[in-house]
Amino acid sequence: MVNVSLQVNGRTMSADVEPQALLLDLLRGPLALTGTHQGCDTGQCGACTVHLDGEAVKSCSVLAVQAQGRAVTTVEGLAQGDKLHPVQQAFIDCHGLQCGFCTPGMMMTAACLLKKTPRPSEAEIVQALEGNLCRCTGYVNIVKAVQQAAGAATQGASV
Amino acid sequence: MSVALDTARFGSGRAVNRLEDPQLVAGRGRYTDDLNYPVQLYLVFVRSTYAHANIRAVDVSSALGMPGVVAVYTGADLVDAGVKPMPGPAGFPRPDGSPAASAPRRALAYQRVRYVGEAVAAVVAESIEQARAAAEAVWVDYEELPSVVNAFDAMQPGAPQLCGQAPDNIAAAMRHGDAQATAAAFASAAHVVSLDIHNQRLAPSPIEPRSMLALVHADDDRLVVHVSSQMPTGVRGTLVDAIPGLSAERVRVLVGDVGGGFGMKTGAYPEDITVAFAALTLRRPIKWRAERIEEFLSAVHGRDVTSRAELALDAQGKALALRVRGVANVGAYATATGVAIQVIVGPWVSTSIYDIPLIDLSFTAVMTNTATTGAYRGAGRPEAIYLTERLMDAAARKLNLDPAELRRRNMIRPDQMPYKTPMAQVYDCGQFEKILDQGLALADWQGFAARRDASAQRGKLRGRGIATFLEWTGGNALEERVSVKVTADGFIELGSATQAMGQGIATSYAQLAVDVFGVPIERIRVLQGDTDRANGFGSAGSRSLFTGGSAVDVVSRKTVDHAKALAAESLEAPLQDIEYAAGRFSVAGTDLGIGLFDLAGQQLGAQILVDGSSTAGAPSWPNACHICEVEIDAATGGVEIVAYASVNDIGRVVSPTIVRGQVEGGAVQGIGQALCEAVTYDRDTGQLQSASFMDYAMPHADGFLGFKTRFDTSIPCTTNVLGVKGVGELGTIGATPAVVNAVIDALDHAGLGNLGEGLQMPLTAERVWRALNLKQVDPSPYRV
Repeated sequence: MVNVSLQVNGRTMSADVEPQALLLDLLRGPLALTGTHQGCDTGQCGACTVHLDGEAVKSCSVLAVQAQGRAVTTVEGLAQGDKLHPVQQAFIDCHGLQCGFCTPGMMMTAACLLKKTPRPSEAEIVQALEGNLCRCTGYVNIVKAVQQAAGAATQGASV
Repeated sequence: MSVALDTARFGSGRAVNRLEDPQLVAGRGRYTDDLNYPVQLYLVFVRSTYAHANIRAVDVSSALGMPGVVAVYTGADLVDAGVKPMPGPAGFPRPDGSPAASAPRRALAYQRVRYVGEAVAAVVAESIEQARAAAEAVWVDYEELPSVVNAFDAMQPGAPQLCGQAPDNIAAAMRHGDAQATAAAFASAAHVVSLDIHNQRLAPSPIEPRSMLALVHADDDRLVVHVSSQMPTGVRGTLVDAIPGLSAERVRVLVGDVGGGFGMKTGAYPEDITVAFAALTLRRPIKWRAERIEEFLSAVHGRDVTSRAELALDAQGKALALRVRGVANVGAYATATGVAIQVIVGPWVSTSIYDIPLIDLSFTAVMTNTATTGAYRGAGRPEAIYLTERLMDAAARKLNLDPAELRRRNMIRPDQMPYKTPMAQVYDCGQFEKILDQGLALADWQGFAARRDASAQRGKLRGRGIATFLEWTGGNALEERVSVKVTADGFIELGSATQAMGQGIATSYAQLAVDVFGVPIERIRVLQGDTDRANGFGSAGSRSLFTGGSAVDVVSRKTVDHAKALAAESLEAPLQDIEYAAGRFSVAGTDLGIGLFDLAGQQLGAQILVDGSSTAGAPSWPNACHICEVEIDAATGGVEIVAYASVNDIGRVVSPTIVRGQVEGGAVQGIGQALCEAVTYDRDTGQLQSASFMDYAMPHADGFLGFKTRFDTSIPCTTNVLGVKGVGELGTIGATPAVVNAVIDALDHAGLGNLGEGLQMPLTAERVWRALNLKQVDPSPYRV
């Protein structure tokens, strides 16, 4: 076992993990943050996407020990208190989720995109979501949600 | 708040935000793998590396000695413990009249494995890492046997045999219709079209893998099973039937959020029995989460039927007879579901919305060394409708008619309703030509030539495809129970055995309850997924709204009636003077009254409980017109969808946002079958070649996003109280033929004539390129 200490959603946390444990295992297991989902084990579905030092990463493709001393944001840390992140609100408003299993990963990817590119084109949204699979929605309303969130984010920024 | 206000904002027909979503977007979903119990153990399966082999021995001694290992089970262990196989395909005949055949489908393989990935042993350990490591140390001595993965190969004399009762590997077969009269119609027909079509095998692929957590409660000795399933009661039944000493009363199945199902999570799996058995034996919580490769290997696959489909027409294009010979590959273990889908459910819709008087349909279900097939979105209807809609286009091409016009000439007219098909199915209603006309207008059918020219200017080949069709819904399980509980703390709870898997049942049911109770939608809670609270068929076959939703309506009204009597007592007024509106009972002509929730507070247990059921009179028959346009890049063969319009008749619409999401998301699954998805096995070794999302091509976000989707709500279903028709599978059924017909149309216009009719799905860039540039298509997959 190895001890890993890191910032998760703004709080310092630490846990003992197996050396081969993935960041995903650390989050879902010892840290009990089950909003991050495991869908494919092979790095293709993106349901496990989180932010690592502000970058969207697939937490199944990062070792837990690689997160030592770094800052992780999961879906549980997306809202500011009771106020949903614009991406979360937009997924609700646009029916951007059905079963909800891919949704945390989709939203984390989208939130990262909007931070870097506040007004993305449809092509940029689609490209950003390329590593996230959804089987329910056909992506139609996910892309709409990201577009709405971009509008909302811009409005918020201009106020 | 007035009734008018709440029902106007949240009642049926209103676009509302889903009740499910706030939890899910916050990361507070409760999927099965999110649950953990103290001292839980982890179970990992050892799976066959061979497609077909005798198991000479399984040596578990090394594994048992490894750190953390608590138990290792083999097929022999379960047989010794009296664990029974799962039910086979009872009720269907083989061609010689003998009963349907299948090798016994066991929780763990016993003496023989029949497909790559079949579970052979199960390792239980203190941690998942320890269980995985020990699984590597289980040594299985296999004697490899010849294998067969293609259904036609499997029917050849001398082919490897899957079970002793079926030397020809035929699990079951059915014939429908009048073969002689059909043959006569074909002999004298002005036109005959014939197509050989492979409806390829698909992996349903919900993003949440199967998961189970089973434990025995020490206080009452009951088995509690948390599972990701569409059919909690069915899972309970299978466990009780398989495991000795278990009774339904001793089992509680709990389902939380389900991360997609699409039919794949109907019923129980062999793995579920092993997990439950381990929990009962070890008396500690047992957790199993399938890895994605296990989903590809051992969850049910969908489709996989190869057909020769023929249509006879008169000189004007009126269809005279339909003849289909279908060979379905149902995998290593034939199940009643897998067989029924191909030999009976598909045939129920084969004549679709067309007035085709004669049929001769023959379907054969064949066992091979592949994973078992079962339900996948549409289950039999996509296969059947694909044949019919491809034949319609082939006939239009042959007769040089507009494909919409040919369809129009064959549509069942409203004055023929109720209409009885040659399969003895009765359509209660449908105005197919009206739906067609709206579809043609929405897609600007007449303006296509200009768009084709514009595409050509950009160097692209444009094609247009149409599918007009219906589907059968309901699973022939037409009754649903609902319990309504009104509590003093201000909530109305609806308990149902239908099971959400993403389709928003809670929201739709709540909207229906708002119609009756006139309370804000936040006051409604929907309880699902607990066999101690509700039992029934579960959710499959687009049945939940028209069966369960009808029950919500009926039992909610019953609750108001029952509470009216309680209000009369409470208010000491005659029953006939009691009025109900917006969560309040009042005495007519007075200012006396009592709130619904206050009334509940006056009752025993501070609640009002009403239980009841509703039975739909028949399946519903949703129908639609889907029109797709594609552009093909001749240099690469790449197909791009550039327009997609659909007009859908699903009767009355309860939740507009949800049904649009169902049709469009469903269409993308149908597009996946048309263009990219395929489960493939190596013909020599029986190894699965599409075992990850790298090799199984799912639709990604870069697909088509510009759907035009409309609903005609003017033709309510007449056989349920709500007037609704099923919607969950409609888009998937329509999209596949609409897309493929568009590609073939583009190839035809590029000078290939009907060569494109020989293309098989998925229409990958390579296949389309070969057709365009080498004038080659794959050899016919159908062999006589």
